[in-house]
Amino acid sequence: MIPDEILHREGFCYLNTRASHLLFVLRKDGRIVQANDSATRVTGDNIIGKNFCEVLVDFTWKADLHSFALDSSEEYIMSIGTVSGLPQSYYFTFQQVAEDIIAFGRLDVEELESMRKEILVLNQELNNATRELHKKNATLKRLNAEKNRFLGMAAHDLRKPIGLLMTYSGFLVEETADVLNSEHLGFLETIHASCGNMAQLVDDLLDVSAIEAGVFPLRLEHVNLAALFSASLEPNRVQACQKGVQLDVDCRGLSGAILDAAKIEQVIGNLVANAIEYSVPGAVVAVRLTCDDRFIRFFVQDHGSGILPEEVGQLFKPFQKASTVKTAGERSTGLGLLISRKIIDAHSGKIWVDSQPGQGSTFHFEIPAQGDNHRDTDEYPFDRLSI
Amino acid sequence: MISSQLYQEYLNCLLEGKRLDCTRIVQDLLDRDIPIKALYNDLFEKSLYRVGQLWEFNRISVAKEHLATAITEGLLNLVYPRLFELEHQHKGKRIVISCAANEFHQIGGKMVADICELNGWDAEFLGANMPLDHMLLHIQETKPDLVGLSLTVYFNMSSLKKGIEVIRSNFTHLDIFVGGQAFLWGGTEMLKHYSGVEYIPTLNDIEKSIKES
Ligand code: B12
Repeated sequence: MIPDEILHREGFCYLNTRASHLLFVLRKDGRIVQANDSATRVTGDNIIGKNFCEVLVDFTWKADLHSFALDSSEEYIMSIGTVSGLPQSYYFTFQQVAEDIIAFGRLDVEELESMRKEILVLNQELNNATRELHKKNATLKRLNAEKNRFLGMAAHDLRKPIGLLMTYSGFLVEETADVLNSEHLGFLETIHASCGNMAQLVDDLLDVSAIEAGVFPLRLEHVNLAALFSASLEPNRVQACQKGVQLDVDCRGLSGAILDAAKIEQVIGNLVANAIEYSVPGAVVAVRLTCDDRFIRFFVQDHGSGILPEEVGQLFKPFQKASTVKTAGERSTGLGLLISRKIIDAHSGKIWVDSQPGQGSTFHFEIPAQGDNHRDTDEYPFDRLSI
Repeated sequence: MISSQLYQEYLNCLLEGKRLDCTRIVQDLLDRDIPIKALYNDLFEKSLYRVGQLWEFNRISVAKEHLATAITEGLLNLVYPRLFELEHQHKGKRIVISCAANEFHQIGGKMVADICELNGWDAEFLGANMPLDHMLLHIQETKPDLVGLSLTVYFNMSSLKKGIEVIRSNFTHLDIFVGGQAFLWGGTEMLKHYSGVEYIPTLNDIEKSIKES
């Protein structure tokens, strides 16, 4: 048998140095005069001389140690501010010994155990869900790539026969004008015009499938903006003239810029063509291109029927057409704005529309004037953000 | 839809760490098509505020509070299939929501992101304790129409201020919404010094604001 006093001494020594329990000896006013190693470790501080309330995470509530010490069998949950910055709860009992109060704090092992188990399970579930999501993501990516390939192949294979149809129907229209009656000639002209629409659709689909497949490289080059602008508008001028729409073009102070000329021409051409198509004969379409050191800004404004607010968000998505109709019943593939957005996105720019139903629409885009640095270098553009 | 009896049953399960019972209650509500906002406000938020109170009054331990939070975050996952599968009217607008640096309370901000998503916005949630440089980079790359910042701990107000200032100086015209419990202790006055910064207190308010913007 080990004598009691040795047991007490060893027990106390253990409590003082190794045990995870907290032990404080407090003066009447709450001042800490003694604390075990665990208390010092947990609080990470020299706590001797401090008031016991200072080591607690303090809300409005104040610990009334004397009343606590009246019944030493009662336990009180108190949170200690720990060295990690997050609080830890201990179950405290207080005991009056002569003039001082001894405070013991214990962790509730069962409670911690159940939290540990629960967090383990939650983490497992989270991990499994993440795995499943990654797997589904991979499948979706694969399916999407297959769809793009299919779309690309179909569009590519259709291009040739449509081209043939267009050429030969064109020949027929020209060469049989005096042989056929006007009704049959009308049929032929419809076939020819439809072939044109089909060819445009196929070209757009090819663009979209290239964009979707991520094979849509920008050929960034130094360009003269004024020359690019006038080249972009060339087809639009013919179109406007045919429809009797007036183009009001302004592009003062343009300098050089770095961009993919063919693609930006495509965007400008497309946006201006839309504006003309939604204008009535005699109307004015305003086209502006400006440029400063940092940005190229473009807008085209028509006075057509405008776009309903609930349709604005859909405009730049595939096959979306506004419910309003083009003034001469012109056809479109519903892909033009999507392609424009993708081109502007690839230039790290922004494209948007302001529209008032009944008053017309203004389509804008804005792209960096000197190319998009971070895409080229793969570096984070911290230099352009100031913190 | 959430009777006081059901709420009490849920709260008890939450405090006792009975995750499966909590899951059953929430799944049942979802199966009965409870509006997501009601689930967030009247069950998740209400019970977490109560958990915070019980902790503040030393009636429950930190472990219990952590457990209740972990369970709640797990339960939010039950909502996501419904949230993302619903055919919302896409508005073509994007919001980035983030907690201020040094702010570890993230559930409120995440709820705000979900409510924006329900209203047809593309809402990204960057998470708790977001370093400023990452947030800026993200804003630059995703070009949102709005940024939302969440702050719970009042003593972190200076992190939020710094965040607002840095966003403002880099993105002059980007509107910023701020929200979270920190503002119950003050701070709305100082927001008046910044242009384009607005305090939005609740999920109803955020819904109203994004519908208007
Ligand atoms: C869970 C929790 C934690 C968890 C958080 C984990 C997580 N995953 O989020 C952890 C353990 C990390 C934690 C830590 C701490 N916590 Co804590 N915590 C809580 C608790 C219990 C719940 C928080 C919560 O999720 N609420 C529910 C959500 C839905 O409500 P909400 O945040 O208010 O959000 C709503 C609105 O405010 C608004 N909103 C919120 N953000 C935004 C943003 C925008 C843009 C908009 C428009 C609206 C909006 O919409 C939401 C939906 O309605 C609260 C109690 C409480 N009253 O909330 C304490 C509480 C917030 N914590 C508190 C404290 C003191 C802390 C600590 C400082 C403790 C410590 N001494 O270490 C640390 C701080 C760590 C840090 N630096 O951030 C105090 C804050 C008091 C104060 N004056 O600031 C609280 C109130 C507890 C209390 N009663 O004292 N905590």
